[in-house]
Amino acid sequence: MPPWKAALLWGLVLVAWAALPLVASRHIVDLLVFAGLYTIAGLGVAFLLGQCGIVNLAQSMFYGIGAYCVAWFCTVKGLPSVFAVTAGIALSAAIAALVGWPILRLSGYFLALATLALAIIGQVLFLEWDWLTGGTLGIGGIPRIALFGFELDSPQRFYFLVWPIAAVLLLLHHNLLHSRNGLALRSMRDAPEAAAALGVDLHRLKVQMFVLSAMLGSLAGSLFAHYVTFVSVDSFAVDRAISFLLLAVLGGVTTVWGPVLGALFITLLPQWLSRLGDVHAVVFALALIAAVILLPEGFGGAIRNRLRARAVK
Amino acid sequence: MTRANQRAGEPLLRIAGVSHRFGGLQVLRGVSFDVPPASLTALIGPNGAGKSTLFNIVSGFLSPQQGAIRFNERDITKDSVQSRGRAGLMRTFQTPQVFRNLSVRENLMMGDYRHLASGITANMLRLRGSRVEMDRLRAKAEEACERFGLREVMDQVAGQVPAGIQRWVELARAWIGGPRLLMLDEPSSGLNTAEIAQLRAALQRLNAEGITILLVSHDMTLVDVAEQVHVLCFGSIIASGAMQQIQQDERVRQAYLGV
Amino acid sequence: MDLTLLLQSIVTGVTNGFIYGLVGLGLAAIFRGTRIINAMQGDFALIGGIAAVLLLEKLAWPVWAAFFAAVFVGGAAGWLMELLLVRPLRRRGGSEESYLLLTLGVAFAVSALVLYVVGRDSHALPGIGGDGIVVVGDVAIRIHALWLVSIAVAVMLALRVFFGKTALGLSMMAAALDAEGALTTGIDVPLMRTLTFALGGLVGGLAGVLVGPLVTVYFDMGLLLTLKGFAAAILGGLANPMGAVVGGVTLGLLESLAIVMVSSGYKDVVAMAILIVIMIAMPNGLLGRRLRKGG
Repeated sequence: MPPWKAALLWGLVLVAWAALPLVASRHIVDLLVFAGLYTIAGLGVAFLLGQCGIVNLAQSMFYGIGAYCVAWFCTVKGLPSVFAVTAGIALSAAIAALVGWPILRLSGYFLALATLALAIIGQVLFLEWDWLTGGTLGIGGIPRIALFGFELDSPQRFYFLVWPIAAVLLLLHHNLLHSRNGLALRSMRDAPEAAAALGVDLHRLKVQMFVLSAMLGSLAGSLFAHYVTFVSVDSFAVDRAISFLLLAVLGGVTTVWGPVLGALFITLLPQWLSRLGDVHAVVFALALIAAVILLPEGFGGAIRNRLRARAVK
Repeated sequence: MTRANQRAGEPLLRIAGVSHRFGGLQVLRGVSFDVPPASLTALIGPNGAGKSTLFNIVSGFLSPQQGAIRFNERDITKDSVQSRGRAGLMRTFQTPQVFRNLSVRENLMMGDYRHLASGITANMLRLRGSRVEMDRLRAKAEEACERFGLREVMDQVAGQVPAGIQRWVELARAWIGGPRLLMLDEPSSGLNTAEIAQLRAALQRLNAEGITILLVSHDMTLVDVAEQVHVLCFGSIIASGAMQQIQQDERVRQAYLGV
Repeated sequence: MDLTLLLQSIVTGVTNGFIYGLVGLGLAAIFRGTRIINAMQGDFALIGGIAAVLLLEKLAWPVWAAFFAAVFVGGAAGWLMELLLVRPLRRRGGSEESYLLLTLGVAFAVSALVLYVVGRDSHALPGIGGDGIVVVGDVAIRIHALWLVSIAVAVMLALRVFFGKTALGLSMMAAALDAEGALTTGIDVPLMRTLTFALGGLVGGLAGVLVGPLVTVYFDMGLLLTLKGFAAAILGGLANPMGAVVGGVTLGLLESLAIVMVSSGYKDVVAMAILIVIMIAMPNGLLGRRLRKGG
């Protein structure tokens, strides 16, 4: 595709994106904000799955850590948001490194179920440590983020914060994939023994990716807290971790932007199905199964392959 | 193919008293031999003699139950696969282990991985150092493609090139980072006669440039190029020497014909 | 520490342990037969439990009939799952992660379906022997618990005989150990795999029917059971179904003792932490069999 055409296309996408909150209903924009948050958290899970073959079901725990750090530091302690968000990221990174080091030596099923066990531990601790988290009563009154004098107190405004952040993170991951470490990741995926023989420290790389994934989860959780201004344990249970995994698989882990599609799917579909009651969970699960069997590269991968096939012609 | 200024003193690789058993089977019994620097050494033997096991032990994929490996005057018996690779001990595998979803060029780029230093953050931010590194790497890989006749397939996905070419990719990848020791595990299996001749010539050229090569092979035309041959049979070295000597050795004849 | 409390918690621990062991047994059997770790094994229990609930409440079946039928529903679910989902994935060359994602997907689907159809409420199941209790010293033991342990042990022994002595069982073992070889001797390997899943479903369904009276049946009981069953299976040596029962009892005891020492809210944290520690420290289980590599 000639560069001017690509630039035009991107320009159109940008305009459409910027115009959306002006034309769509508040409710839809709200869902799109969530899609943005889930894109960020899901990117971590997707990258880990796509590049390291690791099924990470612990993302809900890091999402919760990010959210509770904001809740506690900002609301209870009155500290600025930047501090709280950073603290959340640092804490998540530390936990991911500490726990990741031993468990990432495990392979396949063991590792996946270990991360699931971790998610459950997180869920229970969030509940039991109610002196810290407020338990089921939660913590409310979380201050909004204020940028350039604007207080981000509406979906429309938050939309313009969360999506640029998501876009930047996608770009950073794209860069990573096309760099020396990205090469190492991809080679580790294809032939781990050969990669090791060439000097790649497989374990260290996996831990680094796990930490990166946790940091993304934490950031998403922090933004979530600032957006909804009230957090309680229900948002950080295992089903949240499952949603992140789901959106990663549906969106496709072989492209960097796959999570965007997955996130849009899981936020917009329930809206569409809301007349039928709580059936979206069933639909999601069936979609996951269908994707695994029929569309292993997810929507993103399918689209990319279709585009490639067309380019060859 | 010996270099005029071959170093006296400790050999590049010393295998000392390596023994290993799998379950009830003693696969290696007290195997010892040296690989002098800049030499071309071959390890031959009937199937099941333990050659691949020894290779896996030397390259770190297996920990020997007894014995030691010294490389570059260091005991590496307890070293990880990665650190041996970083020390310049490069190996190929019996079935070519190319990175299937990477292009041929990218496969060769990975060959120089151990000399790269950019961190993950630098990579993500596409800092100058990271970009320069990749560009240099890409150029180096393209040069290597030229040298090993891979220019036509350079952009192709490695998993889709023919198996014979994959062997060359693996060889080029092992060479590109400037290995101290190049260990080739059955590099000729799957190649036709013409390709084997090309491989033979390539090995001679590499060795002439001073690269130490340790070769495991079934193919006698390939082994012929070695200056020193060790024969492994049922886990023990039964003969060592130049090709002519080996061919006349009674025990070797029995091992090959009698088995 | 109060002796009665200790003994009581041992009783609870052993009872729960046999449930974990049954779940683990199903997991181990499926793993041994197909090299797949069934992340929805605990949901077979949910299927069995819910089937029993529906049969009893909606169709007013007699208790024993409902229980037997529920177990078979579990088996049928296993059968269908292998036939309709695992086989197609296998045909398309499933990677290790994809089997995991598939079974996870089924786990979520079952849980979500139960939530949608039956709702969030937990449903009680009548125990075997009703609510009857036997009192030994100061310790109260539910008659259902005694039946539970007996049935679990009986199943364990029956399976041992099945796999060791019967033609079908031996065929299933053969198909698992050496698929190509088994094919040449006329064993229908794909059928053996389906039967393995069906067996897992039967055992899982049984676990559901047995645990239901103790903890009630609710839509998200599956995941935790799977994880605890997995811990039991690992402790017993992953491809060793009999060992899973031993592992389960061990886990149940550890969990109970931990509850006595810490508060009961942390029960699952303890079990999950034990699982992680087991995976890292003794992946070959207590009995130390040399077969790991995570499946």
